[in-house]
Formats: sequence, C-alpha cells, structure tokens
Amino acid sequence: MNDHHEIVSSSAGVAGLYNAPTSVRMAHIAAGLKKRRAASKRLRIYGIAAICTAVGFLCILLTTIISNGYTAFQQTEIAVTIDVPADEIVDANGAIDVEKSRNYNWDGLVKRSFRKAFPEVTGMLEQRSLGELLSANAGYDLRLQIEAAGVVPTGAVTYWVKSSDDVDMLMKGRMDRSIDEKKRRINDAQLVWFDSIVADDAIRLAFNSTFFNAADSREPESAGVLGAIVGSALALIVTVVLALPLAVMAAVYLEYFAPPGRLTDFIEVNVNNLAAVPSIVFGLLGLAVFLGFFGMPRSAPLVGGMVLALMTLPTIIIATRASIRAVPTSIRDAALGLGASPMQTALDHILPLAAPGILTGTIIGIAQALGETAPLIMIGMVAFIVDVPASFTDPATALPVQIYIWSDSAERAFYERSSLAIMVLLLFLISMNLAAVMLRRKFEKKW
Amino acid sequence: MEMDAATELMPESKLKAHEVSVFYGEKQALFDVSLNINDKSVTSFIGPSGCGKSTFLRCFNRMNDVIPSCRVQGQIIMDEVNLNSPKVDPVLLRARVGMVFQKPNPFPKTVYENVAYGPRIHGLAANRQEMDFIVEDSLKKAGLWKEVSDRLNDQATGLSGGQQQRLCIARAIAVGPDVLLMDEPCSALDPIATSIIEELISDLQNRFTILIVTHSMQQAARVSKKTAYFHLGKLIEYGDTKEIFTRPQNEQTEAYISGKIG
Amino acid sequence: MTFLLSNVALLILTIIFGFVAYTLAHQRIRSHVARDGLKAHSLVKYYGVYAALWTLVPASVLALVWAFVADPLLINAAEARLRLAYPSLPPSFLDLKAAQLQNIAAGFIDAPDEIMAAEAAALKESMNRVDLARVLTLLTVMMIGFLFAFLRITPQLKARVAFEGFLRRSFFAAAVLAILTTIGIISSLLFEAYRFFSEISMIDFFFGTHWSPMVSLREGTEAAADEAVAGSSGSFGMVPVMLGTLLVALIAMLVAVPVGLFSAIYTADFAPRKVRNVIKPALEVLAGIPTVVYGYFAALTAAPFFRDAGVLVGLDVSSQSALAAGGVMGIMIIPFISSLSDDVISAVPQSLRDGALGLGSTRAETMLRVVLPSAFPGLVGAFLLAISRAVGETMIVVMAAGVAANLTINPLESVTTVTVQIVMLLTGDNEFDSVKTLSAFALGITLFVVTLALNIAALHVSRKLGQRYE
Repeated sequence: MNDHHEIVSSSAGVAGLYNAPTSVRMAHIAAGLKKRRAASKRLRIYGIAAICTAVGFLCILLTTIISNGYTAFQQTEIAVTIDVPADEIVDANGAIDVEKSRNYNWDGLVKRSFRKAFPEVTGMLEQRSLGELLSANAGYDLRLQIEAAGVVPTGAVTYWVKSSDDVDMLMKGRMDRSIDEKKRRINDAQLVWFDSIVADDAIRLAFNSTFFNAADSREPESAGVLGAIVGSALALIVTVVLALPLAVMAAVYLEYFAPPGRLTDFIEVNVNNLAAVPSIVFGLLGLAVFLGFFGMPRSAPLVGGMVLALMTLPTIIIATRASIRAVPTSIRDAALGLGASPMQTALDHILPLAAPGILTGTIIGIAQALGETAPLIMIGMVAFIVDVPASFTDPATALPVQIYIWSDSAERAFYERSSLAIMVLLLFLISMNLAAVMLRRKFEKKW
Repeated sequence: MEMDAATELMPESKLKAHEVSVFYGEKQALFDVSLNINDKSVTSFIGPSGCGKSTFLRCFNRMNDVIPSCRVQGQIIMDEVNLNSPKVDPVLLRARVGMVFQKPNPFPKTVYENVAYGPRIHGLAANRQEMDFIVEDSLKKAGLWKEVSDRLNDQATGLSGGQQQRLCIARAIAVGPDVLLMDEPCSALDPIATSIIEELISDLQNRFTILIVTHSMQQAARVSKKTAYFHLGKLIEYGDTKEIFTRPQNEQTEAYISGKIG
Repeated sequence: MTFLLSNVALLILTIIFGFVAYTLAHQRIRSHVARDGLKAHSLVKYYGVYAALWTLVPASVLALVWAFVADPLLINAAEARLRLAYPSLPPSFLDLKAAQLQNIAAGFIDAPDEIMAAEAAALKESMNRVDLARVLTLLTVMMIGFLFAFLRITPQLKARVAFEGFLRRSFFAAAVLAILTTIGIISSLLFEAYRFFSEISMIDFFFGTHWSPMVSLREGTEAAADEAVAGSSGSFGMVPVMLGTLLVALIAMLVAVPVGLFSAIYTADFAPRKVRNVIKPALEVLAGIPTVVYGYFAALTAAPFFRDAGVLVGLDVSSQSALAAGGVMGIMIIPFISSLSDDVISAVPQSLRDGALGLGSTRAETMLRVVLPSAFPGLVGAFLLAISRAVGETMIVVMAAGVAANLTINPLESVTTVTVQIVMLLTGDNEFDSVKTLSAFALGITLFVVTLALNIAALHVSRKLGQRYE
C-alpha cells in the first residue's frame, strides 16, 4: 500500500501522471503492480497461517488429552494367592455373615498372603513398604467380591488384586525410574520387588471397569466417573424439564402475544443480556438465593439443574424465536383465516413446524450446560462424593467438576483418569452436537 | 484471426467484441455477441431484464472474474490486445476501464478520500498537492465540485443519491480511464438527479468512451449515439440510435421499442 | 428430606383429582347441552380442562410456596429455641447446631445430649403436624377450586377463552422470568455486597492495592488483637485482582485477535466455498470444548511448558504465569472472534467490494482499505464482547492462574483474577457471614457490572458507529 511512487517527469505541470498520456500512466501502474500483488499474496498466507494455527492448537489439545488418557482404560493388577478362612466369615449354616465379614481384617489377609511370595522380606518397615505395592482398598475389594459370590472358596485361590496407583503408573511407563530415589514415589526396594513380580508374570494390565462403574474415591485405582455422570444426568434432566417449557412459553409470548412497548423491550433486552452474563455470576445467584434464601440442599443435582436452567433459558428462547420466525407467515394466516384463535394457531400449527429447530437449539443448550463447571462449584457440587447419587437431592458432583477435582490432585494416576474423563465428556458433547446437526438436516424444510 | 467485414477494425473503434459468450456454470447467458464500440462517444445497451446486457458490460472490465462460476469465451479487443486473455492483468485493465454501478456505492470515507482512493492505490499522485489537484479536477469533471468543495472532509454517505452517484463517477474518472462503463447509473435516482447525470454523460463523451446499460429507452434515445438491443442473451440489432428507434430493422427490436414485449 | 416423600404421594393424588375433575365437568356440560338444547360455546374438552385447571393450579401454586417456605420457617423457630437453650454459643456454632438438629430429627445421627434430643423430638413432631396440615389444606383447596369451576359450567361459559387466557398469562409469566432472573442476580449480589460494604469501606475496596482476605473465624477483641500482632488482618483492596484479570484478558486478546481476525478475513473473502465449509465447523469445535478442558490443558501442559521454556532461555517464569493462563484463554476465544468477525465482514455489502475492484484494487487493497474499515464498528463490538468473555471466564484461571494477589503487569509472574478469588473465597470451609465470603459477592457484583458495561458498549459501538456509515 505504498503511496510514494516515483513520478515520471511531469510535462503537464501539476499532477504529472494524471495528465500524462495513457501509456506513461499504465507503465507506471504496471511497475507498482508487483508489490501490490505480493501484498495480496501475503494477506492470503497470513489467513491460512492463522487458520492453521487455530487448527494446530486444536490438534495439540486433543493429542495431549488422548495421549494422557488412553492408558487409563487399563488398571494394573497383581496376582495374589489367598486362602480365605471360611470360618471367620461364615455363619453356622455356611452362608456369609455380613457382620462377621464387615469386622474381619481383609486388608491384613491380602497383605499377608502377598508377603508369602516374598519370604525374604522381614521387618515391619520393609513389609509395610511391600504392602504399599497393592491398592489400599485391596482388602475392601476382595470382601465385596466374596460377598457378591455368596460363598467362600475352599483352599487357596489366585485373585487379581488392584495395585497401588504408583505401581500402576510404573507399569504404564509413566514413572521416571531414573530420577533420584528421594524424589520418586517408588523406592529402590520396591522397584526390585516390582521387577520380580513382572518377571514372574504375576502382574497384568486389565480393563479399568472401575472407572465406569464407581464413583469418586481417595485412591485413584478405585475411582470412577459413574457418580459424576449420574450427577450430571440428574442435573441436566432438571435443566431440560425446567428450561424447555419455560423458554418455549416465553418465546411464543414474545413472538405472538407481547404488545409492542417498553415492557416487551425490557424483557427482550434482559433475555439478550442474560445470554452474555458470565456463568460464575449465575453460580453466585444460586448460592445466595437457592442455598442461602430458600435453604435448598447443597451439592444437590436439583439445585445445580435449576442454576443451569437459568443459564440455558436465554439460549433456548433465542433458538425458539428463530425457529418460529422461520415458519412462513402464510401458514399462520391460513390458520387464522380458518377461524383458529391466535393461541390455537401458535400451539397447534406453528409450534409443531418449529419443533425441529426448537429441539436442535435445546440439544445445543444442554450440551453447553453439560460442560459448565463454575456455577456448579459455587453451589457446592465440588465436594468429595463417594456414592453414586440416587435422587435429585442426594449430594452429587458433575462430570466437568470431577475433571476439575482430579486435575488438581497430586497423584499422577488422577491426572491420567482426569484425561480419560475429559475424553468421556467430549464424547458426550460430540454425540449431542452430531445429533443436533442430524436433526437439523433431517427436518430442515426449504420453504 | 479471421474477421468478417462487420467487425473489422475501423479508425474510430475503441473496443471490438468478437463472438463473446458467457456461461454461469452450465447455463449460457450470452450467445456469440460481436460488435464495435466507437471511441469518444456514448453507446447504450438496451433490452428487457435478464437479457444479458449487464453481463456483456461486465466483460469489458473483467468484473465477471469476481463471480466464481462465470466463464467468458470470445475476444474483446482494445488497442490490439484481447482483454479476455489470461495474460491481461485485471487490475491494470480496470485502471483504463472504469465502472459506475446501479446503486451508488461510495465508500464509508470522506468525499475527498473516495475520489482519492483510485489514484492512491495506483500511485498516481506524488504528493498532497498533486492529489488535491486530481480530486478537484475529477469532481469538476463530474459536475460535483461546486456542491462539495466546502464539504470535502464530510462523510460521503451524507450526500444525496444523485450527488453520491456523481461522486462515484468522479471516483472513476480520477484514475484517468479511457472507457467508462455505466450499469443503469440512474435507476436508483429521482428524475432531477437523473437529468443532471444524463447531461453529465453528454459532456463526458468528449473525453471518454462510454458504454451505458439502461432499461429506459428514452434515456438511450436522449444520451447515446449508437444503441445495441439485446434479447435473451443475443444481440438482436446494433446501429445508430436514431435508426433503431425510428426504423428498426428487426421485428423483435420493433416489438420491444413499441412496448409489445419487455 | 421430609417434603419429597409425601410429595410423591400427593402428586399422584393430585393427578387423580385432576382426571376426576375433568371427567365430572365433561359429563356436566354434556348433560347441560342435552337438557337445554343449546350449543356449548367451546369444544367439550375445554370445559373439562377448565375444571381440571381450577382444581390443580391453585393447589399446585400453594404446594410450591409451602415447600419453599415451610421448612425454613420451622428451622428458624427451632434455631430461636436453640439460641435460648445455648445462650453462650456464638452465632457460627448455632448454625452448626441447627444443621445437627435436622440430622437428628431425620434419624441420621444420635443426639449428643438431652437438650438436643428434646429439641429434635419437638422439631420432628412439629414437622409432622405441619405436613398433615399441608395435606389437608391442599385437599381443601382442590375441593374448593373444583366446586367453583364445576358450578360455573354452563353452555354459555366461554371455556376455551378462559383457558387460553390462562395460557397467555402463563406465557407472560415465563417471559417475565428473564427479568426476574436479572433482578434476582442484581438484588442478591447487592444485598450481600451491601453487608460487605458496611464493614469495609468502598474506597478501600475499589482503590486499595493490597488484597489478602485472611480474617480469622474467632471473634471478639482478643482475637483481633492477636491478629494485629500476627499481621494477618484482612485487606480487601481489589486493584491487584482487577489488574490481574485485565492482564490475563489482554494476553488472551493478543493471541486471539490476530489469529481470529486473519482467519475470518480468509474464510470470508479468500477461501473457496468448499474450504470455508470445512474450516468454519472446525473452528466451531474449538468453541464447543468446555472451559474445564482448557483449564486442564493450561495447568498441566501449557504452564509447565512456559516454565521449562523460561528455564531454557534463562527467564524466571512462574508455574502459574499469567502467560500460560492468558495464552490458553486466547485459544478458547479464537473461534469467538473469528466467527463474529466473519459475520461482520460478510455483512459488508458486495457493492462496496465491487466498487473497489472496479477501480483496480487488488484483493488485499479491497479488504484492507474498504471492507475492514467498513466493518470496523462491528469488529470493535466483537472485540469488546470477546474481552467481556475473557474477563468473566473462570475455569481456565482457577486451574492455571495464581491465588495470591500480585500487583504486576509482568506476564511471566503469577497473578490472580476476580473469578479465581470468588471461587476460592466461597469454596472451602467458610461460613456464610464472614467478611471474607461477603467480599466474594462484592467482587461478583463488580464483575457483573464490568461485563454488563462491556456488553452494552459492544452493542452501542456496533450500532452507533455503523449508523455513521449508513
């Protein structure tokens, strides 16, 4: 965009090129053309570079998540031969006595049995160190397994017991063995034992089903996302049940029944503004009004759903209004002409035609709500919940919040599970968005 | 190149079109149009809507290149160069063949900046004084100077419709073209503004070769020396304006003139 | 929770009543029409609906109000009694006692002493009584409503009109909910902020440069004296916090604007249609990723990367640098800016582009000298909206930025933001009343006002400046 070109000798006085013969002028312009074309090319390259940068960021993001998370599909298990003493567990008839089972020291049993494979390990500290190779919940898991089976097997059976999360990381190659022992979570002695277990083929990587059917836990190897998924699902059910009807009603009112005037303008301004309010402010609203003023239960999906409903309301209202407007006025006129009341026209004729668009907008709104974290943290769904919630008022957490909690923890195993949880969340979001797109395509009518 | 007598280069011919056809994708919009345009005169293209006259006009400054699906065949010769050849740079071409559009489209800049735009990008002014001269001269030639000389730094969008169109004409003139293409320049203007511009066109023809597309036969009759009648993409008749309107040779032309079609 | 259990039974009962009302009304209008030989104003079903609504709606509204109001009232009464029973206990402990009381009454835990046991028993009994009263009241209201409607059913009754009027009013109420939400936000924030500002002066809050909200839970002058000695008094100057927010937002914009704007330029005017149809959805994917995922990326990948890179170059980069947080936030905002900018650029009329091209402009000249200046107001609006988004963003900064307020503009250092402070102050074991937690609401209303101002500015800029170019 160079303004200072050389001027050919101006025989015509002022504005030399302007009054110069055509050929002179053209020659001058042609001379400057190369630079100008180069600028065009540069702009195009900048554009492509920008897009590549953005797409590149996306790829890096996804690669990071997947590479960190794919190993979480598996959990390390160590083979331990255990002879469960039946007489300590069963009652007079031979069936399992729950009370006795609860009081029995399963953890001790597992650790003792494990130590049998390492007779050379003596001394309390050493033995404790050996026991740390197994999961802290190994005893609890075994107890549940036996109780579920209903019968205590006779004799020694080899069980595959979950290892500790440190061993899990070691097995998956995510622990650096070469750094100084003091900085490691596995000491040298444990490394030796680990290697011998590997040599004996007494260790394996099994499918991490716990991740998909357990709730949160202090130990990464016992932690799962089921609680978070159910919490999210319950909250989103509340969101849809509240937001969809209210939004459709509000949109129908604004499109068909609202008298032009200041009140209607004010309502519209509010709807548009609320769509741009930061999500954390909604969280504060929920905290102050739902929890503080109404005294509703903290951490409940009911409250979470209500807060998310307030956030999703503007989105669905706007989508509904757009869908209603897309229905041609000829249909409305025809219905009215046949004697239908405005309400009947809106409900019986317009809404069914606008339904696909409304549904698409709702799915997109719900997808956005699924990913919301900050408002749910504000109303308390960030607590450590070990049970899968069973009702709308049980304390629960949500999937994105679970990701947040796990990302914060020091254990590397939680980092890995956090990545897998992100993959699960992204999977849900992709399916919902795909569903919305397919819905839109299937029902899209060209008027 | 074989040329028949009708299209041979005549001393006054500025532009020569030879079997020009235009395709939008599969659809053909213009069928083998051939004619000569005289230098320093006004030639008008008339015909019912959709007949291809605007498409033909846009061939002269390669504006059809902007439309992705558009293909132009045939030759358009100016100064012994085929404008339709890929070797011709459209940027350079448009510095010689200017265009004024149907709806006035001044840039959202000041009056001065609008006129100065063309000279600026082509580097035609060495300094501020030269640019001032160019702007003033162009505005004078466009008959707008008196009205805007004290408003040069106001937004161009504040002018009236007719003034805006004259501004667009001044903007095109400022680059110093030989040819001016005008695509229904008055259709968006009121009658008074229209007559001002028609007068302007009559003045301008002493300096420029003007091609004007118009849907008003009366305008063509008032303003142009030669007229071409198009119908459904074909050139039906081309000749002196007086002849076309009083003694048309083709019955289709006659039907259009007398209002039976269009 | 007591209310949920009996609610289910009540709900079923209510639905049954509704059906009964509908059927009875149905029969009544039928018999009227047959008897009088007149034609009913509306279709028969509307009379049934009319009766059903009169039966159900007043009762439902009452039930809803009751659910929200009754329990808190009972608990407040119990708290008052507790206050009498334990006169020496400070207010914070009374809240704990009240929660404990509820748990005892619900049977989750055992009472620690006789007073609590007695109070719990009393609470339980009063709750049961209130519950019974509620059921009876609702049934009565349903009866009355039904009779009222039933007796009015005649062929002349414009049932459909009444029904549609009811619908219209409900729709109106739903629309008004939007206003109520805004009012709710503003008033709840204001209320808490007011309580905050009655203890901390506004000047100190808005202009103070030291933010360190550590106020002890202990009350009384001895505690205050201790704190003064230990030097850990709470100071609530939000300047460093706001500065941190702006620094992170600035870094985000520095990343997002070039990438977003040039992407938009390319997709709007340079890309072939097929490419545009692929690129636009791809960028939308970036927009759909939840912010917690960006936060994860920022904390666990970007921050260590910048720190290690700093070590390589010899710079001291904090592990919670504003650079990492802002950079990742910028990535999140890219699709926001590119999408809005694309819309704005595409909205520039083709006639302007044609005019520029007709004068012999190259594509770059057309874009840079004509299209972009023309789109400028809309672009500024888009950028303001993006800043608003960056300022209000929470998860990325909670996970990647610092918690300690640091008055600096150095992107390599750790800063904290308004949203981080709000989260930190309100999660964790803080009771509701302390100055500390109230400061979160003061921050909250500041945030709301700032983002609102940015949004309004964005709207006005696009409109007002756009008008200049009309």
